[in-house]
Amino acid sequence: MGLPNASGDLSTEVEVDAFRRLFPLRFFEKHLLESIRPDARPLGRARDTTIALGAVASANGSALAKIGSTTMLAAIKMEVMTPSMETPDEGCIAIDFHMPPICSPIVRPGRPAEAAPVVAKQLSDTILSSGMINLKELSLVSGKAAWMAYLDIYCLDADGALFDAALLAAVAAFSHLEIPVVSLNDDGKIVLSEGQGLSDREPVNKEKRKVNLGSIPFSLTCILHKNHILADPTSEEESIMETFVTVVLDSSSQLVSLYKPGGPVLAYTSAIQDCIALTRQRVKELRKILEEAISGMEVD
Amino acid sequence: MEIDREDGRSQNQLRPLACSRNILHRAHGSASWSQGDTKVLAAVYGPKAGTKKNENPEKACIEVIWKPKTGQIGKLEKEYEMILKRTLQSICILTVNPNTTTSVMIQVVNDDGALLPSAINAACMALVDAGIPMRHLAVSICCCVARSGLVILDPTKLEEQKMKAFAYLVFPNSVHSVLPEGSPSVQGEPIENGIITSVTHGTMSVDDYFYCLERGRAASTKLSDFLRRNLQQQSTNSSKAG
Amino acid sequence: MAAKPGSAPTTYSPNVGQKNRPPIFKDNDLDWVRPDGRGFHQCRPAFFRTGAVNSASGSAYAELGNTKVIVSVFGPRESKKAMMYSDTGRLNCNVSYTTFATPVRGQGLDHKEFSSMLHKALEGAIMLETFPKTTVDVFALVLESGGSDLPVVISCASLALADAGIMMYDLVAAVSVACLGKNLVIDPILEEESFQDGSLMLTCMPSRYEVTQLTFTGEWSTPDINEAMQLCLDACKKLGKVMRTCLKDAASASQE
Repeated sequence: MGLPNASGDLSTEVEVDAFRRLFPLRFFEKHLLESIRPDARPLGRARDTTIALGAVASANGSALAKIGSTTMLAAIKMEVMTPSMETPDEGCIAIDFHMPPICSPIVRPGRPAEAAPVVAKQLSDTILSSGMINLKELSLVSGKAAWMAYLDIYCLDADGALFDAALLAAVAAFSHLEIPVVSLNDDGKIVLSEGQGLSDREPVNKEKRKVNLGSIPFSLTCILHKNHILADPTSEEESIMETFVTVVLDSSSQLVSLYKPGGPVLAYTSAIQDCIALTRQRVKELRKILEEAISGMEVD
Repeated sequence: MEIDREDGRSQNQLRPLACSRNILHRAHGSASWSQGDTKVLAAVYGPKAGTKKNENPEKACIEVIWKPKTGQIGKLEKEYEMILKRTLQSICILTVNPNTTTSVMIQVVNDDGALLPSAINAACMALVDAGIPMRHLAVSICCCVARSGLVILDPTKLEEQKMKAFAYLVFPNSVHSVLPEGSPSVQGEPIENGIITSVTHGTMSVDDYFYCLERGRAASTKLSDFLRRNLQQQSTNSSKAG
Repeated sequence: MAAKPGSAPTTYSPNVGQKNRPPIFKDNDLDWVRPDGRGFHQCRPAFFRTGAVNSASGSAYAELGNTKVIVSVFGPRESKKAMMYSDTGRLNCNVSYTTFATPVRGQGLDHKEFSSMLHKALEGAIMLETFPKTTVDVFALVLESGGSDLPVVISCASLALADAGIMMYDLVAAVSVACLGKNLVIDPILEEESFQDGSLMLTCMPSRYEVTQLTFTGEWSTPDINEAMQLCLDACKKLGKVMRTCLKDAASASQE
């Protein structure tokens, strides 16, 4: 009786942790049959999500977003540039995503993570094509000076769904962004005008202002495994089941991106529809969380 | 519901296709693929012994190296490498040659729109040429959504920039042989309707996306016929399809 | 698409360069006040928390004023393949800055020496013989630079090591002192550091009263060095207590 049964199922013989490490896929499939995940979430539920605005004082706008234990810190620093000839009244946004060695055991210093440039590209495609920021708002003096918004997102803890958390942090940082008061000095350079001391010069940007956000993009990554759809995967789930679908919808339910890079499972129309439906729900949740974070800031 | 295309094509018309295999002598497999003025070369080396770090040694590993026409590789090329790698991994049978690495080199010869789909098609043909075990072929297509909601296929670079959104879609080719597991349909849909890869750019409505899928699937059957015909010809002379 | 690939326009920060600002105190003036209102020999309130990064073996977050630091510890794990066999374990340290850590973007990248200084400060406190053949990686990220970055990184790193369960003789606490004219100022902020004539950093194991690293730069007189070292030792003792409480709190919280 001590022998494993005919199907080679050791699940009743060994301890749970050992089984999880030895047969990770079977461990997960046993859970999926019961429509539950090892962290007690139903398949379609995302992890707890929090946003803290203004985490970095040295930046013009910043936010810390956490989805489960995946943590992202985004900060925007505004600098001045000369706009290009083709678009004299437009500023620019430069987006970068970093995975420093602190975030995950597989990233070592000097060898950047393979995922980082891919996520960076996805983020800048999504943010720029969603039309969330009107680049004309970032203009200072037409043809002479415009804002360059450097948005840097750092992954502090990588535990799956990196793109979702990074996009949330980026969007939150933009909603916290305040464009500083600046004026044109005698050398034709833009400088900060602090206090009333420099008020003899006409400020180019009269008062601290927020940027108007158009339709805000939110995303949800799902794993497809057999007939199951698992929302918001952890890094353990991502390493075992390798088919991901990332859906980005904006506040007016337009599709900003539907990203499925390969993977052993084929996505059929019904699965795509289910993923989009899950994302619609998630967008509502995330919008509420972001609104609460913003109103929390205004009370202070 | 008509749209004027610069080259006078109808909205569902692809550019002339051309594919030739076994064009490089040192590589284990190679192919060139062109769609209109977009031309891509793919070369396959391997399987070589050993896998890279952080890869599963119990499976074969596929490595993709993207060579742009000019300049250095940036984030865009890195993303293409990742998408291509994951797409090829899903069509190859990785358990036949465990603990090996197959390198796929993509050289862009000319980019006139639909670059990534062309590269996927080229890589797929080169893998066949190298004799890498595969589940099925992948056929890739680019669909553009115009502001009016009209979908055009296989856009040129100019059209890609002008349109509000586009989607790169990859489908499995239609399977003619009878699979051992029974009928080749899953969840009531034929297997060639399943999406291997989808990458979109720009905003569109969800309905537009599904319309893209429909158009893309229709075009992919044409493309997979072209692939099959090309593979059946043992000679490497190129053929054309509309 | 608004992205302009390939072309990186030159940009500048609208912040007025710090050199144009008047010095924060005048020479021989003993009555000036520190920008944040602290006494000369008063440290900033320190906040520590362990377990900030789940995917690491151990981690800690430290915040002193505007200086915010995260340290992750990985291992003991397999050494690099090229490494020779060794009876003792190896310690590998790396300190990096975020691009937005400094007032002007991307200035924090030129602190290459911090990695080796962190290594030297910690190596004396770790029982390397307890993990032969393997490597412990200590990675620090400065989220925001507010002055005295390295001492904060070192203290935070020793907490992260303790959180990872790496055997140590004692925690390592680090404090720096800046010499501004005739005054000695403990735990300087960024603004004070930019005007300092000399600086001294001392890292020590408070319970054993042993120094693991002592560095000074700039011009110092012997009595000033003695005074500054005594100041640092006293401050380290207090800092050590704060760090110890943080560990105890984390341990009692996990027991509940």
